[in-house]
Amino acid sequence: MNQGGKALSEFVAEATEILDTLNKDLLTLDERRGQEVDPELVNGIFRAAHSLKGLAGLFGQDRIARLAHGMEDLLDRLRLGKLVLDDTALDSLVEALDVLQALLVDASRGETSTAQSARVEALVEGFSRLGAPAAPGEEDPLDRLELDPQVRAVFTEYEEHRLRENVRRGVSLWRVRADFDLSDFDKGLAELNSRLKPVGEIISTLPSAQPSSASGIAFDLIFGSKVTGPELAKAVEGTLAQLAPLALRPPGRGSAPAKARPPAPVAPAALPAPEAPAALARTAASAPAAPSEPRAPSTRRAGSRKGKASRAAPPPEPEPEVEVPPPARAVPSVRAAQGVPETPPPELMAEAGSTGPRVDFDTSLRSLTQTVRVDIRRLDGLMNTVGELLLIKANLQRMVEGARQEGTLVLSKAWVQELGRETRQLERKLDALQSGLLEARMVPVGQVFDKLARLVRRIAREAGKEIDFISSGGEVELDKLIVEELSDPLMHIIRNALDHGVESPQVRVAAGKPRRAIVSLRAEQKGNHVVIEVSDDGSGIDEHRVREVALQKALITEAQAAEMSRRELLNLIFLPGFSTARSVSELSGRGVGLDVVKNNISNLSGLIDVWSERGRGTAFHLTLPLTLAIIRALVVGVSGRTYAVPLNSVLEILAVQPKDIRTVERREVLDLRGQTLPLTRLARMFGLPERPIPRSFVVVVGLAQERMGIAVDELFGQQDIVTKPLGGRLQAVRGISGATDLGNRRTVLVLDVAALMEEGIGPERRWA
Amino acid sequence: MGFKVLIVEDSRTSREFIAAAVEAVPGIEAVTTSSGFEALRLLPRHRFDLIITDINMPDINGLELINFVKKNPNYRDTPLFIITTEGREQDRDRGMALGAAEYLVKPFQPASLEGLVRRYLKLA
Amino acid sequence: MSRFSELLDDFFYRPDEDVGGLLDFAAGTDELLPLTPEEIPEEYLAFILEGECYAVPIRTVREIGRVPPLTEIPRAEPFLLGVMNLRGDVIPVYDLKLRLRLTDKAPLVAGPDAPPPPRSARILVAHTEEGPAGVWVDAVKDVVRLKPSMLEAAPPGLGGERDCVAGIGRRSSQLYILLDLQQALA
Repeated sequence: MNQGGKALSEFVAEATEILDTLNKDLLTLDERRGQEVDPELVNGIFRAAHSLKGLAGLFGQDRIARLAHGMEDLLDRLRLGKLVLDDTALDSLVEALDVLQALLVDASRGETSTAQSARVEALVEGFSRLGAPAAPGEEDPLDRLELDPQVRAVFTEYEEHRLRENVRRGVSLWRVRADFDLSDFDKGLAELNSRLKPVGEIISTLPSAQPSSASGIAFDLIFGSKVTGPELAKAVEGTLAQLAPLALRPPGRGSAPAKARPPAPVAPAALPAPEAPAALARTAASAPAAPSEPRAPSTRRAGSRKGKASRAAPPPEPEPEVEVPPPARAVPSVRAAQGVPETPPPELMAEAGSTGPRVDFDTSLRSLTQTVRVDIRRLDGLMNTVGELLLIKANLQRMVEGARQEGTLVLSKAWVQELGRETRQLERKLDALQSGLLEARMVPVGQVFDKLARLVRRIAREAGKEIDFISSGGEVELDKLIVEELSDPLMHIIRNALDHGVESPQVRVAAGKPRRAIVSLRAEQKGNHVVIEVSDDGSGIDEHRVREVALQKALITEAQAAEMSRRELLNLIFLPGFSTARSVSELSGRGVGLDVVKNNISNLSGLIDVWSERGRGTAFHLTLPLTLAIIRALVVGVSGRTYAVPLNSVLEILAVQPKDIRTVERREVLDLRGQTLPLTRLARMFGLPERPIPRSFVVVVGLAQERMGIAVDELFGQQDIVTKPLGGRLQAVRGISGATDLGNRRTVLVLDVAALMEEGIGPERRWA
Repeated sequence: MGFKVLIVEDSRTSREFIAAAVEAVPGIEAVTTSSGFEALRLLPRHRFDLIITDINMPDINGLELINFVKKNPNYRDTPLFIITTEGREQDRDRGMALGAAEYLVKPFQPASLEGLVRRYLKLA
Repeated sequence: MSRFSELLDDFFYRPDEDVGGLLDFAAGTDELLPLTPEEIPEEYLAFILEGECYAVPIRTVREIGRVPPLTEIPRAEPFLLGVMNLRGDVIPVYDLKLRLRLTDKAPLVAGPDAPPPPRSARILVAHTEEGPAGVWVDAVKDVVRLKPSMLEAAPPGLGGERDCVAGIGRRSSQLYILLDLQQALA
């Protein structure tokens, strides 16, 4: 292999992807010859050529860079309207694609054929001769558009051109503003885009630098609409979008260049419809009289301060901190605004700003704290403190309860009530503190995905496999500690997939499968858990071979094997001492098997499951809790011992009498609304002395698709707990995920529900 | 305590190249993303010491990201580099006008990026 | 190939998973210290187990405390008495009597049926390679200084099936059975 081989194949892989996109888009363009050109399509092709140019430059692939550069220039002129796409231009683009493909083949072999060099030169030469520069217009139509120069400054040349095109064609322009939650704004935007696209062109998507709240984000879409205001309003009905028209001065009159125009405090175009100022005025007028709760959480600080200020000094005057927002932001836009009214007095604007959720950014922003970088151990420390506070809170609550029941001999009833109220207040604040801390620990799982993507390509190269690696759901967030602990198990599973799962290109082609294999990594949040799937479309796991090996290594008996389902057989691969690799490969043969992976996942209170079909592929599913730091737990009693059950895996609690429990094949089960629920007596499983009790409780737990009942003697209620690991010496205690302190100095063990289910239902008894 | 650098670049290989060049400086952790949207989401979650962004991206353009960063009091002091290519001078100039600290024209030497990173993070 | 690609190769091939050897090396440097301290006494903590006098180097002991409530670990080997809360950390507590064949049944000291611990009993928290571990002792006797000349090899057969007796210390008429806790708790 030559020196640059590894980096080179990185290049070839991505360049191939780009060429595929180019190919597809050019085909579409070709099919639509003679029709009006879709600007978005041309822009897409431009972007592809641009990316290829940058990439090739990075890797010293001069000929590819040169040709891509030529294409990019041509496409740039096309997309900026300086050139009309005619047959000559299209044909030369298609030819360039051919040459690029040939060049890439050359590059991957480390060759440089002179024939291709000549074609490159000819094409580049041809590109430069295509088209004449567009005649300079008398006046830039954009100067007629009432658009804040600050907004205009953010447009790329292309966006500016599209805007200009829309103005030239007399299309009405709108600013569409929408607020989203930071966690899912892309979904919201996609929804909005899908509503808008049929009725016009989205020219630019501008994230507002002024967040609507700490967890929110606002976007301004500059939109060229083919339909009327009311129709547009109808199109976005039901979304959170707010429309404001961008006004246009008539051509040739009073058209000072945008840059020369002094920054007016409020651009007329950015003003609300006629009925709006009245509404705002009403709000403003009522503000001092009713310093009510702020309307949106984002304005809480500013709002409440406003309330106080107003009480102190009516009539309302501009709060010193409430400035007139700069024009770009001063868009108290309203739904389906139709006209351009007079500018309301500035103080009215300020008032409107401080009462609405959108316009008082500057005020609320100033009160936002600056972010700091924190060591995760400090967060752990804080989390422990919160855990202790929660204990104190629990004690307080007990005292309140006690005082309430024991009568009011010493304490007055009012005093007890007061104490109860304060305790509830404390509880709410603690909840907020706790969720804030938990949130601070959350990081996107994509951090690991990126690293894994790097690894995949490296391993694939080393193993001579051709792989497309697809990852999705990288934005799903998990506790930082979990994300860190995930990389090893995921790496191991992926190594396995590449090493044993995915076939060599020759074998795949012979089996009638696509040459390139697909390995995918997907994360998805499901309630309190995150499910991560690692799958490949390789050869799959041969369950007969698994069975053979398990028998050979005496991991199971013949009798057990005879009763096992396919899925149960597959899950044997997680048993310690199991490995089907016939030769220890350099890739996976690092002395760790899937049992270690399973252990790692169990330590995170997670569950791992495998699905596989011979010839079709394999998929591993990892079900993980969102966080380990503080969890709500159900405290239960068994044989005089106390245990905590994480509430996120508890589905329901049943009170059962001995007669409710039946036996099927010597295993206890419970009838739960017509479904048979496997039952495990915790006392029996843990080998504790069983006590005869008239009635027991069954905690129904569930993870992934599995359900199980755990019989316990007593229920002590719920409590927030900070789970601590059992520590180095006790890493793998079956059925126990850690310990916690319930406030009486006594350590209580936290049950590992995933492991208990595993054991209770049994690897040989898992529900298929 | 290490430094965190956000890299926004939709070309996977370029992204890794930049990440590799940046992480060649000891103590730097690169957080990478291919999308401007994702970058918007990452910003409030981390305290980045430096942002490096491409301009041509599919969802929001790099200029919008620069504007967002530079107008936001939480991030505006974070130095930001633009990655650009030959021929895109107008977009580059706008990026610089919006407050980018430096620009790099592809192809560039890893050492030059490394040097800039060291300079802006005040590392020897 | 361009020079650039070679540069890239270096970047793509960071041996980020192969730092293990380096750490091993770093951890092993202690071995190089000179090992010839003549007649420098070492302090030992002496304690009683089933009437016998044992001792461990005091530097291996982190602290000594009264027996706190112990939480038994279900299905653990009898040698593990349970876990205790040591200022927020959960640490395991072990019994040595079984290991040393001083009894044939683990004492019942944890769980709801356990009697209160004897007044003299203590938990000795030791440093081990796997983190702190508690050891039940019937009583703490004293701290003794033993010179190398006071130490002798352990007679064979002492200390159960494991080699957890490091030797015998003799100071005037008192014998101390010197324990290797790391070995005893393995």
